[in-house]
Amino acid sequence: MIKEKEWWPRLRTRLLFTGPTLFAFLTVMIVPFIYGIYLTFTNWDGIATTHTLVGFENYGKVFQDEVFWKSFGLTLKYVLFTVILVNTVAFLLAFGLTRGLKGQNIFRAGFFIPNLVGGIVLGLIWQFIFSNVLVFIGEKAGIPLFSTSWLADPQKAFWALIIVTIWQYAGYMMVIYIAGLMSVPNDILEAASIDGANGWTKLRTMTLPLMVPSFIVCIFLTLQRGFMVYDVNLSLTKGGPFKSTEMVSMHVYEKAFLSRDYGLGQAEALVLFLLVAVITLLQVYFGKKMEVEA
Amino acid sequence: MKRWNGLSVTVIFVLLAMIVSACGGSGGNSGSGETGANGANASGKAVKISLLNSKGEIQTQLEEAAKVFHEDNPDITLEIMAAPAGTSPFERASTLYASGNPPTMMMLDTGDVEKFKDRILDLSEEKWNADAVENATNLTTFDGKNYGFPLAIEGYGFIYNKAVLDEAVGGSFDPSTVKTRDDLENLFKQIEASGKKALIISPMDWSLGAHFLPLAYAGQNKDMAEVNQFMDSLKAGTEDLSGNAVLNGLLDTFDMMKQYNIDKKSPLAGVYERGPEVLGKGEVGIWFQGNWAWPQIQDFDTANGAYGFLPVPISNNPDDYGNQEISSAVSKRIIVDKEKSTPEQQEAAKKFLNWIVYEEKGQDFLVNQASIIPAFKNITIPAADPLGQSIQDYIARGKSQESMSNLPADHWAKVGASMQKYLNDSGDRATLIKEIEEYWTSVK
Repeated sequence: MIKEKEWWPRLRTRLLFTGPTLFAFLTVMIVPFIYGIYLTFTNWDGIATTHTLVGFENYGKVFQDEVFWKSFGLTLKYVLFTVILVNTVAFLLAFGLTRGLKGQNIFRAGFFIPNLVGGIVLGLIWQFIFSNVLVFIGEKAGIPLFSTSWLADPQKAFWALIIVTIWQYAGYMMVIYIAGLMSVPNDILEAASIDGANGWTKLRTMTLPLMVPSFIVCIFLTLQRGFMVYDVNLSLTKGGPFKSTEMVSMHVYEKAFLSRDYGLGQAEALVLFLLVAVITLLQVYFGKKMEVEA
Repeated sequence: MKRWNGLSVTVIFVLLAMIVSACGGSGGNSGSGETGANGANASGKAVKISLLNSKGEIQTQLEEAAKVFHEDNPDITLEIMAAPAGTSPFERASTLYASGNPPTMMMLDTGDVEKFKDRILDLSEEKWNADAVENATNLTTFDGKNYGFPLAIEGYGFIYNKAVLDEAVGGSFDPSTVKTRDDLENLFKQIEASGKKALIISPMDWSLGAHFLPLAYAGQNKDMAEVNQFMDSLKAGTEDLSGNAVLNGLLDTFDMMKQYNIDKKSPLAGVYERGPEVLGKGEVGIWFQGNWAWPQIQDFDTANGAYGFLPVPISNNPDDYGNQEISSAVSKRIIVDKEKSTPEQQEAAKKFLNWIVYEEKGQDFLVNQASIIPAFKNITIPAADPLGQSIQDYIARGKSQESMSNLPADHWAKVGASMQKYLNDSGDRATLIKEIEEYWTSVK
């Protein structure tokens, strides 16, 4: 750190390095965020040239909007299942692909690829699979589970969303877990083997505790992506059938842009932000407490 | 505790980024910049204008028309932008305005025009106002000024495949024989007896919510003023829908349709694309849809282009309003931006609109290329496709019912979802009616 006594040269040096980033950050993040908060106090419809201040009316409406809370509940359910399943699948893949299998790098790349496909495209591909391919196979092979489209049934459409999400993120989380697994020092594992620990004991008492940082990162990422899911939701089910799979982001978007209630939509987005912030902060805080040193 | 602080700040910022970019929308869209809307060339005479197209099925035809228009008017370059399928043109137009980069012209649905009226040009002085068909500009006129260019007349009802119906009735099928629900059911039975399926109900929310159900609103009375009064009392919550004869009649017809639906086993599985396929191939005789579906039907046509419309009957009395009428209205409006467009661009846009109405090439584009039923009396070219001809025929015989084209913006999505529930038998009629009533009392 350069030691300067005068405040101006000091500030100047700082601005030189942080200024451009700070400017970009302020203009594309902070200003829209604050303006967005301002809009929650108005009745703007998204296009009119004028709007009036309505105070906290929109926030009152957020708590009366049953559909918002219903889709928030559905999103919680979705997040619960995706976080557990994505991380389980990803960990198992990572575990399997660090055993020194033949061609494991190809497998790793293969499982990672779905993550490179955009959510919209992915949703459309799976829409085709669920409503055409599986139905065709189901009819030909006489499997009743697949003979009607999964996307036409509220329960099955929900599970279709979860399956696609797992497919999309398991590979990504797998990469993080692989890094975590490789960083577990070999010497302590060897020492444990000499002491007579079997594979399961080593995994449970050494590998898993040492991988807590990877779990924190992966659970945070899946939590946050689960809450914010929109693209797959839009292109796979469009919230249907009859709004039964409409996640909370989609509801907020439709409030703002379809029902043209921008103020209320923005207020719901802010409430959602606060709820998700609290949940993820708690997760990171308690996760950190579980960390151990080798 | 120190580490906790650093982490929490990072987490908050990441979330903030997600929220702002995913849900904020207020400032994040400025980067799109694919339009040349503001790129008017100040030095020369060349003007660049753009049009936001929300009729996806005519995108190529419009691009072609833009080229032809440019040949006729070398100074003006017209660029066609497509509104993404599945979103309403309003969403696209309002984001473009929010980013300060609106196209010169935008194609909107009728009900959307009013929201934009402070930002768009008054078109009342244009010559084509006098040549527009009756009532074409009523819904886009505010304080005596018309803001919208009526682009197309669109109608909807049961589209029939004449080849299938000929075979079913044994002889040439005459659409005027179907005047009541029983007639229709009889026809369905005849089709099934001939070994085909009677009809397909496409389960899209927009089809059920914006087209099928509104037949019950429009069918309330022949007098549009009475219909408007009905809508007002619906909003006020004073209308008892469960006892409404027209709505119940329409739903009775819908119940009957459900019995003969080819997708009865899984009524919500279908997608739009399945409709034209099974109708065109003659697997079913009838599909509930509008004349815009012609290009897709044509791809599968096995009936030598013999298609037409049947009205959706709501009762067993042939004289009840709606049993012989086809629902139609002016549907798409072109508006001209005045906020960001230069006067030269505005003039060029007006010129383009006039070109469509009065120039031979423009008319050719509108009617023959884009298969649009024009909303102008001076255009005498007959509709190019059988569905358009059928609609024109109903209008010419005075057998048309004004479609509801100024329903609230989220009506199709919300009421459409309720209709899907009803179609899937996941909710009974009482639930449906309750949901419709609740929608109307909660709408802004």
